[in-house]
Amino acid sequence: MSLPKRIIKETERLVADPAPGITALPHEDNLRYFDVTIEGPGGSPFQHGIFKLELFLPEEYPMAPPKVRFLTKIYHPNIDKLGRICLDILKDKWSPALQIRTVLLSIQALLSAPNPDDPLATDVAKHYKENEADAQRVSQEWTQKYAN
Amino acid sequence: MSLSRTRPCLTLTQPTMDDELSDGPPSGLFFAGSDDEDEDVAMERPESPTGPTSGASSPPSLFIQDSDDDEPMEPIEHSPLPHKRKIIIPDDVLDEALELPSAGPSSRHSSSSRTLDEVSKKSASPTPKSKPSKKSDSRPPAKKRRISPPAASSTPLPFPPTYLGEILIPNAWSNVSGKGYIKCNDPIQIHRDEQVESKPGPSKSAANGKKGDGKKQMSLTAMLKPLPSKAKKKVKTDSIVRILNSRGTEFGRLPTDVSWWVAKLLDLGIVEFRGTMTDCPDKLTTGVSLFVTLQVYILASAFKSPTLNQTDDTRNTMFNEGQETLDEKTLRERKESVLKLFEVIELKPQAGANFRGPQAEEKVHEEALKRLAKRKVKTVTEIVGDNEEIEVDDAEDLSKNEIDTIYKRAQHNDRTMGLMEPADTFTLTLRGYQKQALLWMHSLESGKMDAREATSMHPLWSQYFFPEKPVMDGNAIDLTADDKPFYMNPYSGEMSLDFPKAERKCKGGILAYFFLYDVLVHTNLAFHALSSAEMGMGKTIMLSALIHTSPPSEEDADSTAAPGKSRQLKLNNAFRPAPQRKTKKSPSATLIVAPTSLLAQWSEELQRSSKPGTVKTLVWHGQNRLDLEAAIEDDRDDDKSIKVIITSYGVLASEHAKSEKAGSSRSLVFEIEWLRVVLDEAHSCKSRSSKTAKAVYALQARRRWAVTGTPIVNKLEDLYSLLKFLDFRPWSDFAFFRSFITLPFLARDPKAIEIVQVILESILLRREKNMRDTDGNKIVELPTKEVVVENLEFSPLERKIYDQIYISAKRDFERLNAKGLVSRNYTHILAMLMRLRRAVLHPSLVLTADDERALSSDGDGAVDVNDMIRRFAEAESASEGSSKNTFAEDVLANLADAEAEECPICLDVMETPMIIPGCMHQCCKDCILAHLATCEERHEESRCPTCSQGPIIASDLLEVVRRKKNPEISSSQASQPEVTLRRNDFMSSTKLQALVKNLHRLRDQDPCFRAVVFSQFTSFLDLIEVVLKRERFEQYRFDGSMDIKKKNAAVNGFREPSRKPKVLIISLKAGGVGLNLTTANHVFMMDCWWNAATENQAIDRVHRIGQDKTVYVKHFIIANTIEGRILQIQKRKTAIVKEAFRGTQAPGASTDPESIENLKIMFGDD
Repeated sequence: MSLPKRIIKETERLVADPAPGITALPHEDNLRYFDVTIEGPGGSPFQHGIFKLELFLPEEYPMAPPKVRFLTKIYHPNIDKLGRICLDILKDKWSPALQIRTVLLSIQALLSAPNPDDPLATDVAKHYKENEADAQRVSQEWTQKYAN
Repeated sequence: MSLSRTRPCLTLTQPTMDDELSDGPPSGLFFAGSDDEDEDVAMERPESPTGPTSGASSPPSLFIQDSDDDEPMEPIEHSPLPHKRKIIIPDDVLDEALELPSAGPSSRHSSSSRTLDEVSKKSASPTPKSKPSKKSDSRPPAKKRRISPPAASSTPLPFPPTYLGEILIPNAWSNVSGKGYIKCNDPIQIHRDEQVESKPGPSKSAANGKKGDGKKQMSLTAMLKPLPSKAKKKVKTDSIVRILNSRGTEFGRLPTDVSWWVAKLLDLGIVEFRGTMTDCPDKLTTGVSLFVTLQVYILASAFKSPTLNQTDDTRNTMFNEGQETLDEKTLRERKESVLKLFEVIELKPQAGANFRGPQAEEKVHEEALKRLAKRKVKTVTEIVGDNEEIEVDDAEDLSKNEIDTIYKRAQHNDRTMGLMEPADTFTLTLRGYQKQALLWMHSLESGKMDAREATSMHPLWSQYFFPEKPVMDGNAIDLTADDKPFYMNPYSGEMSLDFPKAERKCKGGILAYFFLYDVLVHTNLAFHALSSAEMGMGKTIMLSALIHTSPPSEEDADSTAAPGKSRQLKLNNAFRPAPQRKTKKSPSATLIVAPTSLLAQWSEELQRSSKPGTVKTLVWHGQNRLDLEAAIEDDRDDDKSIKVIITSYGVLASEHAKSEKAGSSRSLVFEIEWLRVVLDEAHSCKSRSSKTAKAVYALQARRRWAVTGTPIVNKLEDLYSLLKFLDFRPWSDFAFFRSFITLPFLARDPKAIEIVQVILESILLRREKNMRDTDGNKIVELPTKEVVVENLEFSPLERKIYDQIYISAKRDFERLNAKGLVSRNYTHILAMLMRLRRAVLHPSLVLTADDERALSSDGDGAVDVNDMIRRFAEAESASEGSSKNTFAEDVLANLADAEAEECPICLDVMETPMIIPGCMHQCCKDCILAHLATCEERHEESRCPTCSQGPIIASDLLEVVRRKKNPEISSSQASQPEVTLRRNDFMSSTKLQALVKNLHRLRDQDPCFRAVVFSQFTSFLDLIEVVLKRERFEQYRFDGSMDIKKKNAAVNGFREPSRKPKVLIISLKAGGVGLNLTTANHVFMMDCWWNAATENQAIDRVHRIGQDKTVYVKHFIIANTIEGRILQIQKRKTAIVKEAFRGTQAPGASTDPESIENLKIMFGDD
């Protein structure tokens, strides 16, 4: 199965013109599989952390969204222990006009703006709701502990 | 012993020989006649090697065996045989029969009508001299040639009974006991009772059973006692033949294995038997074997046609109904018995049907034919085996040979055929081959001998020579006498003394235009033929020349009554007074029947080729049909011009149908006797039972021409219809055609092909594009033709739809096939196939109404950009300027000069940008459609990929159509906006897209190209029309539903010079023939037809004389669909059509094995 032109183009652009704080490199043996890193956004509890993710482009891409998962442990109400991400554009709000880059930027933005009202990790969400500062502290600890 | 070399002196009926041999020595007695070696052998030997001895070969073996018995030979001496031997005739031809002498009291065969008295009188006379005739002197005593001279039959002189041969019947049996009935060498009478009442043939089996015994007993007593007994015979079951002595007393019977045919011959009164008792015991006992020698004399009545008294009509009807009438039965029995007689007396044909001549050439030829027939089978098998490529190669090779074989005769003198200049009222210049054709046609019309000098013997007849009768002692042998031939038709049993010429009685013939293809991959050669119109092979021109050059002859004027070809009046017309004009005036007008689409072309061409005023043409079609009589009759006296009426098959058929209705008057067109009727594209009436065919047959004409490219479309019987029209007897009789051509052909008898060859030789002129003229130049030089098959892949959606239909059709078929019901549900299956073939073209051709929206669009879906901008501007002012609308306005305003933008979905440059109307975001057409499809699949609302605005409806999308910026064109198109928007309200399909893509490419290369697009489905033509409209191609349409004016307008419009590209879309069936479209040099075949011939004929609308550019043909085929299999069948079919050698092509049956085989291909697994 040859790689669609679109994926090639995206990959080229990701390499040639990476988004700030984000890297995405395809595996050599599977060009649909990317190793991704995202820097924790400044001003967030995740600042200075480097989070690893994996990203896979399914067969239907771009008609179907990519599959993305955190590999680095992270304390975030919308990301569960397995690294799964609750983000609408990765689900029903996906549009073929979105790209790897935009997806990753969205995830980066998600780190800045956790949304405990639409939780994936319910305990973390509860923590954020009840005591946001303490929750942010834990997030920061985890970042230092795991994302370095 | 030289016995082995001698011919059999005696001929035994086969079954008898077997019996005798098994009996051992006794049988030897009878063969002992061979002791005459000393005399006969000497004379015979020289003959034997060359003689037509093949037939004699089996008997000799008998002699060998017998000759071993010395003892048995002795008795010979008393046998009468020695006499016979003495005379040997120089004719090797005759030898088999010759030797048998008959001491022969000529016993008149007792025909049923004879009384016993008569019989006895005659039989009493010892010599065979029975009839005085001019020949009589030579014949009775034994001159071998007492056969009436060839002229005899044509002169009123009576034909004397003529010696044909001799039979020894060793197993006749006595039915009396006692002495004095008969002695050896006594003449006997062979008697048949009158067929008054029937009596069961009492003791056939008994007779056979007894014969062995009888022989052994050989009692001497039987001879003297006459035992007359009369048995009555029934025609069918009773075949008793009595043996009477010279006193008229019955003493024995012929064995049943002989009597069945002897009885029939006697009943028919065409043969006379003169018998001699060769050997018998002195005293007869019931059941004792008698050895009887019969000399066979043929009577004049044998040469009368047994069918003459019956009217053709009766016979035809009966035959066609497939029932054997009484007449038929009589004929058949006559044939059987005559053939049996010939077999028994070993009379061999010397030429003609059934003749296996010694000449090497002949043999080779025949073997070739046989091989053809055989190979065919092989080819078929291979095809069934699904071994596509190999089989095709085979078929190709074969077919070339085969075609050559079939047409060899028809063409073999063609190159040297003379030329004829047309009359001076004809204004055009003819090419050489056209002048040849003119000569040929003219000579056929004027009734002169065929320009080719066809003197072949009628293909069904065989030539025989009368054998010499063994001469009695002391008569000189006349070595100088000529062999006297006679002729027999082994298929009908008819005999004649006249040379049966393969004669044409019809004035007219078939003009066939064959074009060999070797370019096209899957259709390759063949048979198809194109009858091309004026610019093609010039058949219109040739016929025009004929019309000018061959006016009514005196003969035409003289004979007031129509000659043989006038049709029988229908009963309801018979009592109507014939219109007076008919009897007064000789026919002078020509009627041309052509497909509707060609009527105008004919008219134009006739005018163009004529000096003004010399030809008056009337297109008798549509509303003004009533003028027919006026056109022909009115100005006849003062007007010398030639009248030509041009009409269509449809008109003819409907006029005919009207005439058929009781009470209505017969249409004038059938009342008028035409000087000449020309059928253009004559294969239009190939089915003999179609209305069209019947109408055509009903025309009365002195001269008839059938012009066609495909005299044989896919069955040999296709040819029949033409022969019927031409009234080419006897082939115009369906029963004849069927029994002498179709059936033998099915039995793979090479004779069938030979017959076809002979038929074609006399009436068919064949021209093909690559034939060469007398100077060796191709008669037609055409530019090359490049054929490309473009294999396309379905879109996933189309694939899904197609597969669904295919699977259900396949299931249906397999279910029916398993139950063996395929042939009964043939129509249903064909309907399924039809659906599949449509599904390949465009899903909406098979989808039901809810999906029909794609088809509903009228107009070209264009949306004016300025309109859009205005609307957005208005919306903007109304809503106080939303940024969105500003954006939209920008988008629209910038469309014209915007650099190619990237599609947000595929990230590629948008080839066909689509605008989403709500937000004005753009995507590629394919991408956005795929997106919408995905959404639908997931039951999600479809929204703009860029801004998520929704929902989006596919048909609301606007396609941005940019005109190519071609500097040359831009000026002329200045008025047209460079960018237009078009609603996406049309669902395309893979094939349509491919067509559009190709047309765009063409336009880029050649801004004024002319292309012709063929499809067999008018519904698909509708879609093509829509798509071309959307793409803004100038297009014309030509299909069968259009009236003739519209058709002409379409063709003329297409031909008109213009600097814009033009596309003509044509329905394959309506436009496949005749049209001249040489202005185009690109052909697109949107679908494939079962028969490659039809496709090629279509292509040759473009690739024909007048074409000066290379012709590019593109076939669109969707991979892995039924189309591939149709191609497969095409290959099969082409093979069939080419020479029609197919054994399995059952005539007329739509569900023959061939068809079912084809269906299996359709639904087979790859």
